[in-house]
Amino acid sequence: MENKNKKSFLERMGESQVWKSIIRSGVPRSRRQRMQAILGSVFLHLHPARIPKHAVKIGYTWCMGGLSFFLFIVLTITGILLMFYYRPTVEYAYTDIIDMTEQVPLGIMRELHRWGAHAMVLTVWLHMLRVFMTGSYKPPREFNWGVGVLLMTLTLFLSFTGYLLPWDQLAIWAITVGTNMARAHPFIGHEGPGASLLAIGDINLVHAGSDVRFALLGGRFVGEASLLRFYVLHCIGVPFIVMILMAVHFWRIRKDGGISGPL
Amino acid sequence: MLQTFKDIIDILSAPTVSFTLLTIAFPFVFPPTDWFEKIHRKFGICRLWTKPGFYGGMIAITFFFVVGYFDPNFNITLTKADNFPIILMIYSMFIAIWWSMYQAYQNDDRLENGLKPMEYNDPDDKVLVWPDLVYIEFIALILFMVFLIVWSILVAAPLEEPANPAATPNPSKAPWYFLGLQEMLVYFDPWIAGIIFPIFIIIGMMAIPYMDINKKGDGYYSFKERRIGMFIFMYGWVVLWLFLIVIGTFFRGPNWNFFGPFEYWDAHKVVPLNNVNLSEYIWVKMLGTGMPTNILLREIIGFIVLIGYMGILPIILAKSWLKNYFQEIGPVRYTFLMLFGLSMLSLPIKMYMRWLFNLKYIIAIPEWFFNI
Amino acid sequence: MTEDIKTTPPASVSPAEKDDNALGRRGFFRWMTVGWIAFSVATGGFFTVIVRFLFPNVLFEPPQTFKAGFPNDYASNFVDTRYKKKFNVWMVRDEESIFALSTVCTHLGCTPNWLGTENKFKCPCHGSGFRMTGINFEGPAPRPLERYKISVATDGQILVDKTKSFKWEKGEWENAESFLKV
Repeated sequence: MENKNKKSFLERMGESQVWKSIIRSGVPRSRRQRMQAILGSVFLHLHPARIPKHAVKIGYTWCMGGLSFFLFIVLTITGILLMFYYRPTVEYAYTDIIDMTEQVPLGIMRELHRWGAHAMVLTVWLHMLRVFMTGSYKPPREFNWGVGVLLMTLTLFLSFTGYLLPWDQLAIWAITVGTNMARAHPFIGHEGPGASLLAIGDINLVHAGSDVRFALLGGRFVGEASLLRFYVLHCIGVPFIVMILMAVHFWRIRKDGGISGPL
Repeated sequence: MLQTFKDIIDILSAPTVSFTLLTIAFPFVFPPTDWFEKIHRKFGICRLWTKPGFYGGMIAITFFFVVGYFDPNFNITLTKADNFPIILMIYSMFIAIWWSMYQAYQNDDRLENGLKPMEYNDPDDKVLVWPDLVYIEFIALILFMVFLIVWSILVAAPLEEPANPAATPNPSKAPWYFLGLQEMLVYFDPWIAGIIFPIFIIIGMMAIPYMDINKKGDGYYSFKERRIGMFIFMYGWVVLWLFLIVIGTFFRGPNWNFFGPFEYWDAHKVVPLNNVNLSEYIWVKMLGTGMPTNILLREIIGFIVLIGYMGILPIILAKSWLKNYFQEIGPVRYTFLMLFGLSMLSLPIKMYMRWLFNLKYIIAIPEWFFNI
Repeated sequence: MTEDIKTTPPASVSPAEKDDNALGRRGFFRWMTVGWIAFSVATGGFFTVIVRFLFPNVLFEPPQTFKAGFPNDYASNFVDTRYKKKFNVWMVRDEESIFALSTVCTHLGCTPNWLGTENKFKCPCHGSGFRMTGINFEGPAPRPLERYKISVATDGQILVDKTKSFKWEKGEWENAESFLKV
């Protein structure tokens, strides 16, 4: 009876049926419970239960991989919220963006999204630099480095597709320049080398209305169809691939022996 | 006094000057061989990777930005909201490189004295993720979120005029992280700079672990054990990517002309840019015969140069200078290393040929959209 | 052979099935080959159709032909920028002809600006420069600007048809449809 009264609120909460149904190991206080808290959570068990000492030093990891993942989540949430107010049409896109700062409550949602995107490019680059500087790409982590390079490329592509959505001068010209590079793609771009070889008699198979740029833009120049395509790629298409690759990336960290370190 | 400083910076920051200085200085900062290392130590360049070096670097960057802030011309580019990430990039990259080199030099000393790197801990002596790691992560993300919210409140996201397909803004810039590519586009045809190079960059980076068979330096900061690999990567990363971004952001003005940071962006600045193709140099200026009508004959010199550079040069190197290296890594790795390495090197080479000889294309076949 | 029979279940080697209808080892691989080829063709066809899905059949883009006034409206050695905004065309008149010049820079598709004082088109993206005729002379542009088909309509006005373009490097500027003699 006396013992029971001495128990703290936290301990009693940890013994309640609700808590125990969610977190089986109770309040993580003992060494065993703390390990179980990691192993028993679908989110936390990205980590192993125990890690080498140098892995918790900011000087070693810079925390940049974790922050990149965190920013991806922040950008997903703010992006979903922005989608409530944004219509991807030439008629409304620009005015919807203005409304986001002027009419929508908490008018910094677009700022969070835009600056977060810039910050994510930086954190991903810093993460890559850290991995290179510590030689962590070396065997057995070669494959995961490759996945990381793809994730970095997709981060840039995500940012690039988002660039068009405000439909301002910066947007349309950055995308015009960017997609015109596709026009010069060998064989499948109509101004690329080899494209003129793909012809039947006088009829060019690869022209402005049938090349890879046309497929990307959904038209001959950046317009209504391009805005919709970039919107879909930005909101669904690329994040879908990024999430798959992220799962591989995280899983392989564990499978390749956890965080790199000296032997 | 300040004006002289500004003038000097304006002259130094011209790509011809700054790129050359950076390229020459680079092997002395990240010495790839013993000889460079000797000079690196002798002239005290190694002190850049000590604490005074850090303060010196930070003060120099900050001084540059502070002077820029109070300069009427530089202020315009510096305070553009979209350029803030580049300022962040300059600081964070300097801190990151300094930090890793600082630790690398400490480790190099330890390894030389037969000690283990400082990251080393007894494998059995591990820490628990809960609470040691999860709390660090938690604090890091809170601090970062605070930083992001403050940034968002202070700086409004830029929005320019509505899109107008008929009026190209002058200058028209790609997103900042692609400015390196945009700078390449000045020197190469779109299919090289816009398609082939990006593909090579991605595949080349993915191939790094397979080409670099040096087993040392895995899992801790180090420099000396893997100095050649470090040197090549850092040159590509710092000079051919980050520095081109800085050029594209701060030094490229109307008509994509070069402007020093303290220079006024005059849209009518006239820069003579009469570029000449290699074939024209050969046939018209040297031989005086006029261009042959046969396209392949016209460009034959260009093809010889290209095949010599990408095909024959690696074979010669494999038999002479890089003989031991070739035997060590084998023909497949060597081929890919040469493919990516020589492509990377072709960017500065082409830049210099443009600056020195106004060379436009080595092979120029606009009829087939095949220009190199 | 006897080893095989021992290890395989008795049902599959019963003598009744050892007739011509039985699927022998060779026949099995033959059918496997056919099956895999069919699978590859079907899958390949399916993805081809998906790729085709990306190419729209109907475009909602502005009209490709327009009228650009009477030939006499143009002074010689003059670049008319009136049709730039709406149709992406410069009407240029030099000493002996009028032609319709595309405003799309041949480098990466920015829109150059006509600088009358310097007598050239200058692209703001990467600094390409073109002479009044459309010939490239500076910067990274690999080839001259394109010209569009030009003719005189029945009412005497100039008719520009953007669906057909003429490239200098292919010698198409000699084509009679690419300019109007004045």
